[in-house]
Amino acid sequence: MVQEVERYKKPVRILHWVHAGAFTVLFLTGLVLFIPALGFLAQDSWTRIIHRVAAAVFIIAPLIYLPLDWKSSWKGIKEAFNWGMDDVGWLKAAPAYYFLADEEAMPPQDHMNTGQKMWWLMVIIFGVVFVITGIIMWVFKTVAPAALLQWMVLFHDIAFIATGVMFFVHIYLSVIHPLMRPTKTGAWSSMARGKVSAEYAKSHHAKWYARIAKGEEKKS
Amino acid sequence: MAEKAILYDSSKCTACRGCQVACKQWNMNDEAIPTIENGVDSRNWGSYENPRDLSPATWLKMRFTEYEGGGKLQWLFTRQACMHCTDAACVRVCPNGSLYHNEATGFVEYNKDTCTGCGYCVDACPFSIPRSDRNLVFGNAKMDKCTLCTTQGLNRLDAGMEPACVKTCPPNALIYGDRADMITAGKARVSALRANGSPDAVLYGESELDGLHVMYVLEHSPEVYNLPVNPKVSAASIAWKDVIQPIGWILGGLTILGLGINFIIARKAKMNREQPVKKEEEK
Repeated sequence: MVQEVERYKKPVRILHWVHAGAFTVLFLTGLVLFIPALGFLAQDSWTRIIHRVAAAVFIIAPLIYLPLDWKSSWKGIKEAFNWGMDDVGWLKAAPAYYFLADEEAMPPQDHMNTGQKMWWLMVIIFGVVFVITGIIMWVFKTVAPAALLQWMVLFHDIAFIATGVMFFVHIYLSVIHPLMRPTKTGAWSSMARGKVSAEYAKSHHAKWYARIAKGEEKKS
Repeated sequence: MAEKAILYDSSKCTACRGCQVACKQWNMNDEAIPTIENGVDSRNWGSYENPRDLSPATWLKMRFTEYEGGGKLQWLFTRQACMHCTDAACVRVCPNGSLYHNEATGFVEYNKDTCTGCGYCVDACPFSIPRSDRNLVFGNAKMDKCTLCTTQGLNRLDAGMEPACVKTCPPNALIYGDRADMITAGKARVSALRANGSPDAVLYGESELDGLHVMYVLEHSPEVYNLPVNPKVSAASIAWKDVIQPIGWILGGLTILGLGINFIIARKAKMNREQPVKKEEEK
């Protein structure tokens, strides 16, 4: 029996998958307005209806989660803004690691590595951008000044491009990249079952593992 | 067919609104009789303008402006309908080509069947012309505007007729023909007006937005008529469609390509690292 440590509690994992599902639907129903060749799929507004149902889930899910556990929510949000020199080191070492499987130069990482933190920070910032610009286009479409609505489309599109590209990278690095294939130990396992092997935690998240090994921090 | 245009001469217009009626009749844009009981705001709001605004079923309407200048009061009339721009903001922002130019005439036509109801054209139009009814909760909508009588099944131009509004105009304030001829006629009329007590007379639309296909002869500066003096495609539309969106396509393509290349290289690197271990195991 491999020794395992808990990485994500059940409510966090449920939030992740609900949000991921909503985002996937939002992404696809937005893509039909982004790629002209797919535009025929958007006719008669039916993708907009699906987009709005998914948008409601996208907005409501975190609002339900936050009050369930203010403390760990706050800790999680702070994590996205906690940057240091090891992050610079990670960025320098990342090409060799992800292309050549060379982990020599990789500095020790915390609960989230730099790449994960980058994505998490983008999710928070662009999530807010999506929601604000989206609500203005949804609710105030007939009353807001035309110029404002045009800028809202632009910002919604910038957020779409940024998160859409990172969405591919995120899926790729979690389950497709050759080094991430062992689904029993890595990223997939942490979000599917909530647990990773102690070995994986030690090698990939040394700073975090050191803390939980001392018992300072149980889980997050 | 050469490039076509409508020329509207505001100085000849009597605001009979025959064009409004002909437009509705030909394009079958019936609306309820405007009474409050029928849900139409028909109260006196201090103007003879009627209806009060364009709508999905009102593609053309006359605007009345009271203007005081040179010690006399003038009642000015303007046509409010699609100007059929060459550099059309609506065509630029339409996500799936539902709005497009007729390559022969230069008119901005649209396919209502494929319209997604996004409303980008409604917000982008510098003349604020397109209209749509919108379900605010679900967002389903369809845009409508003047088709210059090219609506499928009701296409007057293909049948060799002039647009309904032009056909009906009693004082010939509306004429239709080759765009070059309309410019010549418009310029001649402007010269005549300038020589006869309207020094500010202009031909509006000859070069605005690379040339409008509905041009106006005006006795005063366009702003007197509530028309944009220098109509432009908005900065937001240009930034979005000419900069951000192409960046998005390139970035998306490069990402997928880059991940594919990474997969091939990283898989090989991983195998190379595992191989020596395996060889040792074999020994």
